[in-house]
Amino acid sequence: MKKKLFLLLVVVTACVTAVSAQGRRGLRINEVMVVNDSSVVDDFGQRHAWVELYNSTFAPLEISSVFLTNDKDNNKKYPVPLGDVNTEIPARQHVLFWADGQPNKGTFHMNFTLTPGEDNYIAIYDANGLSLIDEVVVPASLKPGQSYARKVDGEGGTDADAWEVRDGSGQYYITPSSNNVIKDTNGKVEMFAEQDENGFGMAVMAMGVVFTALLLLSLCFYIISKIGEGVSRKNKVKTVTAHLDEVHDSHKDHDSGEAIAAIVMALHEHLDAHDRESTVLTINKVRRAYSPWNSKIYSLRELPRR
Amino acid sequence: MTFGDFILQNLQEFWHLTGFYNATWEHLVMLAVGLFFIWLAIKKNFEPMLLVPIGFGILIGNIPFNGSAGLEVGIYEEGSVLNILYNGVSAGWYPPLIFLGIGAMTDFSALIANPKLMLIGAAAQFGIFGAYMVALLLGFAPDQAGAIAIIGGADGPTAIFLSSKLAPNLMGAIAVSAYSYMALVPVIQPPIMRLFTTKKERLIKMKPARAVSQNEKIIFPIVGMILTCFVVPSGIPLLGMLFFGNLLRECGVTNRLAKTASNALTDIVTILLGMTVGASTQASEFLTSETIRIFLLGFMAFIIASTSGVLFVKLFNLVLPKEKKINPLIGNAGVSAVPMSARISNNLGLEYDPSNYLLMHAMGPNVAGVIGSAVAAGVLLGFLA
Repeated sequence: MKKKLFLLLVVVTACVTAVSAQGRRGLRINEVMVVNDSSVVDDFGQRHAWVELYNSTFAPLEISSVFLTNDKDNNKKYPVPLGDVNTEIPARQHVLFWADGQPNKGTFHMNFTLTPGEDNYIAIYDANGLSLIDEVVVPASLKPGQSYARKVDGEGGTDADAWEVRDGSGQYYITPSSNNVIKDTNGKVEMFAEQDENGFGMAVMAMGVVFTALLLLSLCFYIISKIGEGVSRKNKVKTVTAHLDEVHDSHKDHDSGEAIAAIVMALHEHLDAHDRESTVLTINKVRRAYSPWNSKIYSLRELPRR
Repeated sequence: MTFGDFILQNLQEFWHLTGFYNATWEHLVMLAVGLFFIWLAIKKNFEPMLLVPIGFGILIGNIPFNGSAGLEVGIYEEGSVLNILYNGVSAGWYPPLIFLGIGAMTDFSALIANPKLMLIGAAAQFGIFGAYMVALLLGFAPDQAGAIAIIGGADGPTAIFLSSKLAPNLMGAIAVSAYSYMALVPVIQPPIMRLFTTKKERLIKMKPARAVSQNEKIIFPIVGMILTCFVVPSGIPLLGMLFFGNLLRECGVTNRLAKTASNALTDIVTILLGMTVGASTQASEFLTSETIRIFLLGFMAFIIASTSGVLFVKLFNLVLPKEKKINPLIGNAGVSAVPMSARISNNLGLEYDPSNYLLMHAMGPNVAGVIGSAVAAGVLLGFLA
């Protein structure tokens, strides 16, 4: 019993850890500005370097107690404080941290700064300070007023190709606390509207998928039923053979089956014997738990029946 | 201000809050629609379990009131009781619970015994995509067209689930349309079945289905869920719950859970779903030209679905040996109005040959239709969401 309980505890702990880790792993560094000379200001009206974090999951993500750092040798440089309701990032949303070295200004002001003209390493570590969640090296070539951003929000892992330098011109807009890719329409719907005006493509593709799914299921159960039939036939043969052997063994020195059947029929005729089972009545006591809610005393009248 | 003025002013304000003051002709039309649904359910016995809650919901949702008074009573007013209950519809979590119940009360034996009947359930889904094409022609955007077309699956919970994701603004009309046509299956399907079959075909007698072992019944929901969800992961909420409910029923060790899922839980969710869907049809949102087009498209989707099911069986019979021919009267059951459409196959079969019971054969495509419409919804969701 103790062993089972222990196993259950281990499984539950593993599941909880896995789920928790999975959630935190969805946190991404999404956009960084090292020299902020014209971009967004903080609550105190001042401009500082900033780091945008993005919750790439489809559920709210609580980030208190994760660590932000710019030092490869110190994973636990800035712990995101506990007890601030704003540290829960809604699904697919962002939060901005200021790299101003002034943590006494509030939760979102980190205790380190970013250095212009140098490669800036930024990383997020989970609450244990060991599990790396995300990291990025912001290139030294980043000019004042430029940001280093993911091409698509939260996507591309630590791959440098997933990032680009943005200077605010054309489509390279700088988007602190906002999506890097601004969608005004649903791309898929637009594509279907353009490419498949009459819906024929959708009908062919979708019917293909529906048929494939049900055909696969159908084939699978055809095979399973064949296997089942084979197994039950084998079992039946085995049982019948075993039974016949048994009967044969037990009747080796006795009368034949025909003789026994004749004797039984004669006895039946003579004694007029019947099976008594059909005359036995079994009455089960029916118990109903009393509750004032189901008592008819409290009903005004019975439910009408049509 | 005199005391008389005070009384008069308050009574006047109260009068402005009453339904009599705020009523418009649209409200009266919707109240008449609600009463018609209740009449259909009670007098004609058309899907009373659905039409009574929906009909009464329409009455609740169309009591006129002053929306700007901030009374928090309307279904679209955040924080109102109706709005909280409506969350199950708008966030799409009632339909999977209904599917859990459907799984727990459905016996898939007919389908397992004759797996080729699954293809009829797939063919009937053409109603969905035929309606999708027509909806595009009528000027609906692809996502709206997909949400409307799912009415052809003849599956209320699936229609609500998909429309809540693809076109929430059309959900009321889509849901009411889907449930109305499901209730009208006995009226819509028989003429189509007669039209597309010959007398000789209607007399086809099918072999009784083989007995299905308990092991097969247990394997079915597990393999079914894994296979279908691997093909269409976006169908997980519906397919996962459907097969989970069925496993509860068939595994033999969770009878209590299966009983709750198929009785109490389904009843509770049906009440809430029907009532809130009905209440969501507020006149201002519902009485539009779009609603009329949705009803027309839904009707057409039903006809295409039933026709394609029947025609597919006829086509299938061309390649089947003589002793394994399928009676095309079970083709209509490919739409997933369970068990109504299977019952219609049976009744029509008996009409032409009093010894030809088709119910068990029709249950195969009927439950395959449930799976098929959930897969089709997953496909539309995957392509358009």
